[in-house]
Amino acid sequence: MADAQTLKQLVLGRKDVQDLSDTEQDLPPDLMTVNMGPSHPAMHGTVRIVLTVDGEKIVKGDVQPGYLHRCFEKESEHATYTQVFPYTDRLNYVSPMINNCGWAMVAEKLMGLTGKLPRRAEYVRVIVSEMSRITDHLTCVGASAMELGAFTPFLYLLKCREWLYELLEKVSGARLTHSYVRIGGVSKDLPEGFGPELTACLDKIASVMVECETLLNNNKIFRDRMAGIGAISKEDAIKTGCVGPIARSAGVDYDVRRDYPYSIYPELEFDVPLGTTGDCYDRYLVRLEELKQCIRILRQCLVQIPDGPVMSDDHRVALPAKQATYNTIESMIRHFKHIMDGVRVPAGETYAFLEGGNGELGFFVVSDGTGRPYKAYVRSPSFVHLSTAEMLFKNHFIADVVPIFGMINMIGGECDK
Amino acid sequence: MSESVTLTIDGQSITVPKGTNVLEAAKLLGNDISAFCYHPGLPIVAQCRQCLVSVEKNPKLQPSCQQVCGEGMVVHTTDPQSTLARKQQLEFTLVNHPIDCPICDKAGECTLQKLYFDHDNADSRVDTNKVHKAKVVDLGPHIVLDQERCILCSRCIRTCDVVAGQHQLEFANRGDHEVLTTAPGEQLDNAYSLNTVDVCPVGALTAKDFRFTMRAWELEATPSVCNGCATGCNIEIQHKNERAWRLVPRLNAEVNQYWMCDEGRFTYHGLREERLASAIVEGLPASWDKAVQVAAKRLGVFLKDASQIGIVLSALCSNEDNYALAKLAKAWGVGHVYIAGKPPVPARADGKLRVADVNPNTAGVKAIAEAFGFTAIPTYELDRGLPENLRALVMLGDVVPGLDAQKLKELEVISLSAHERGPVPSARVALPIAAWAETGGTTTNNKGHVQRMHAAFAPPGAALAGWDAVVRLAAATGQKLAWSHARDVFKDMTQTVAAWKDLTWQRDVRPLALRFAGSRG
Repeated sequence: MADAQTLKQLVLGRKDVQDLSDTEQDLPPDLMTVNMGPSHPAMHGTVRIVLTVDGEKIVKGDVQPGYLHRCFEKESEHATYTQVFPYTDRLNYVSPMINNCGWAMVAEKLMGLTGKLPRRAEYVRVIVSEMSRITDHLTCVGASAMELGAFTPFLYLLKCREWLYELLEKVSGARLTHSYVRIGGVSKDLPEGFGPELTACLDKIASVMVECETLLNNNKIFRDRMAGIGAISKEDAIKTGCVGPIARSAGVDYDVRRDYPYSIYPELEFDVPLGTTGDCYDRYLVRLEELKQCIRILRQCLVQIPDGPVMSDDHRVALPAKQATYNTIESMIRHFKHIMDGVRVPAGETYAFLEGGNGELGFFVVSDGTGRPYKAYVRSPSFVHLSTAEMLFKNHFIADVVPIFGMINMIGGECDK
Repeated sequence: MSESVTLTIDGQSITVPKGTNVLEAAKLLGNDISAFCYHPGLPIVAQCRQCLVSVEKNPKLQPSCQQVCGEGMVVHTTDPQSTLARKQQLEFTLVNHPIDCPICDKAGECTLQKLYFDHDNADSRVDTNKVHKAKVVDLGPHIVLDQERCILCSRCIRTCDVVAGQHQLEFANRGDHEVLTTAPGEQLDNAYSLNTVDVCPVGALTAKDFRFTMRAWELEATPSVCNGCATGCNIEIQHKNERAWRLVPRLNAEVNQYWMCDEGRFTYHGLREERLASAIVEGLPASWDKAVQVAAKRLGVFLKDASQIGIVLSALCSNEDNYALAKLAKAWGVGHVYIAGKPPVPARADGKLRVADVNPNTAGVKAIAEAFGFTAIPTYELDRGLPENLRALVMLGDVVPGLDAQKLKELEVISLSAHERGPVPSARVALPIAAWAETGGTTTNNKGHVQRMHAAFAPPGAALAGWDAVVRLAAATGQKLAWSHARDVFKDMTQTVAAWKDLTWQRDVRPLALRFAGSRG
């Protein structure tokens, strides 16, 4: 009998109810294991969280990512630098343009092209990046609100996102997986009438955001579920390597665009919003403010953007014009070599980083002087942020996993690489 | 000390044997000076002017292929003067080059493409029409010339002169009308003519056998050994989609240098002819298990007195396959051992690479039979009639001279073969084995070099490596051969064959995708 009981305990992870004493039956003191995910309707992203709970309280939240692992780094070794752009689209697929820019920047750094791109190309990159940042934050805020029961803001914000996607589709030809940026510039110029369209779109977004703020900011349910939940201290944020809105909400004053300026950001005016408490509500507020700053940056860009080429004329990176390709052997060979062997990046290794939707997004590349990376590594903010999840879940209720996870904004493609 | 000289190339000091040219010395330092006409296996003519370098105390640029290293010489390859010379030379070479890359077989492995991209990469400045020449010139049975693509490096002319010893190609006319053509009264038909296609730095010379079949960068290369004759030229099997598309020579200074003969290049066609893809029992396809059981049952009758059994080793199969069968034969205690192979072709022997013996492994089979103490006799001696007590025959390969249909009828034949032809269809049981390009193994050439072949792609259907088929047959007859890899057979073999006792099995080579290999040339 004793053996059968032990066996039962092993299988169930606890004693059977009828074997418990009266007091025990009221409230089993044993810890319980609960699975959240990998596919859970109240969590965005495919990730498994094994929660060990004491009643409703979380003792340990074991986060197990990897469901979207696509061997980004290994695959990159077998593709030319240009062929990696489509792979980067699938990293943070909510803001793929920023990933595109990051990958282009690392190759350009190795080739000594940083700062030598045509001005218009830099402006176009910043415009599409900031549009991507808006879509990223809209998704994060909208989805998190929905998961807490506020369905209206989700529909409103996702509609805003769709307006931007439509514009980005006009720019790149693809709604989500743009592959728009190239080493040395961007693949094509902005479409005709882009400026007025974007301005109109930004106006609409600004008014929608006012509505959503009215709906959410002082909403009792929303505030109760966000404020004081999943707080991280400034020290912990730095210690764990948090960046972006999460670090800023905890008061870490760090934004790559301002602190390690790249592209034309030094010429643009924007503020870096900071939080104080580092909880979910502050993360939400920081993202909202960043949305407004993005709109501000975009409006400046649309005024300042100069005319000119959008691709460097450096022969190492630029494809020859089709006219020349089909009519001169020199351009024909260059075209062939660029496509078949890839843009030849000088031997060396470097790290280039920029402000992604979730914070510092960096690429480290070792080049052996051929057209393919010898080794590629991506510093994906989602992966770092997810590593803090266990700490943030602790001592919260199961229901709090949803806003905490939502505000970490783990993007599976980026986290799992 | 007079045997070597020390010089400085781009600030790096290097000591090389006396007589080395600057281009080779730079290559030792990892500096690949660009060149079209220079080929390490051919006489130096210094006519492409692509490898010009500056030598201090020398007023003019020197062709590094012809410039012999001197003591204390200071060479610069990246100074403005030689860099400009390279750029200008490339621009000059491209003036009349046709815009053919999309339809050119050499694209992807073209030296001209490579050097232009590495050293010039500038836009065209030509605004006049290109000089047009003949696009399709039939030079001989195997080769087509495109005179527009030719950059007049003369590598092919020298290859014919040096490798084949026949002067079949020449330049005609002058200036931008100069063309490559056949010498008066000649056509490009020597036995080594396809080497000219390999050495051609552009797509001027293309092999009729390969052109327009496969793009070079799509291929994968696996090192192997030519199975066309006993010379055993080192080759690369270039393959894709589970089949070979061409064979090209691989450098081996002791066997074939940079070359191979045309006949050897075409042996890959045989890999797809009349293949045996499934075991056959009495004319009907069968599973391996059934075929091996039937074979064992048929042989079992004679195993009590194994002197009634004969085996046929094949000079066309690898050392491993032959060793496996010989070892099994020894364990059975067979009474008759034969060696099969193609009859010699005396007309082939030319004192160069081609020899009369057209079997790749004659030396290996003999050594193996000897090591087991067999008195092996050639199968064609069976012409005189079968020995009295021979009842069953286990034979390797499909080339077994001396066995006619009548004799096959009298015998219980178990055949291990890659092809379904010759005596194989008449066998009681035929077991499918891998051909030379499909399995790892070694062959022994006429100079005694034991050379390694690597598996380029998988054998068709149910075929297995020859030694593996023997292992299964052995198991069914109660003999245990504990091998699971060709390496195990090889190790066992080196312990048996005294002459090979110091040989080691090197790690398997994986196919190299040519698009990763960069441009060849």
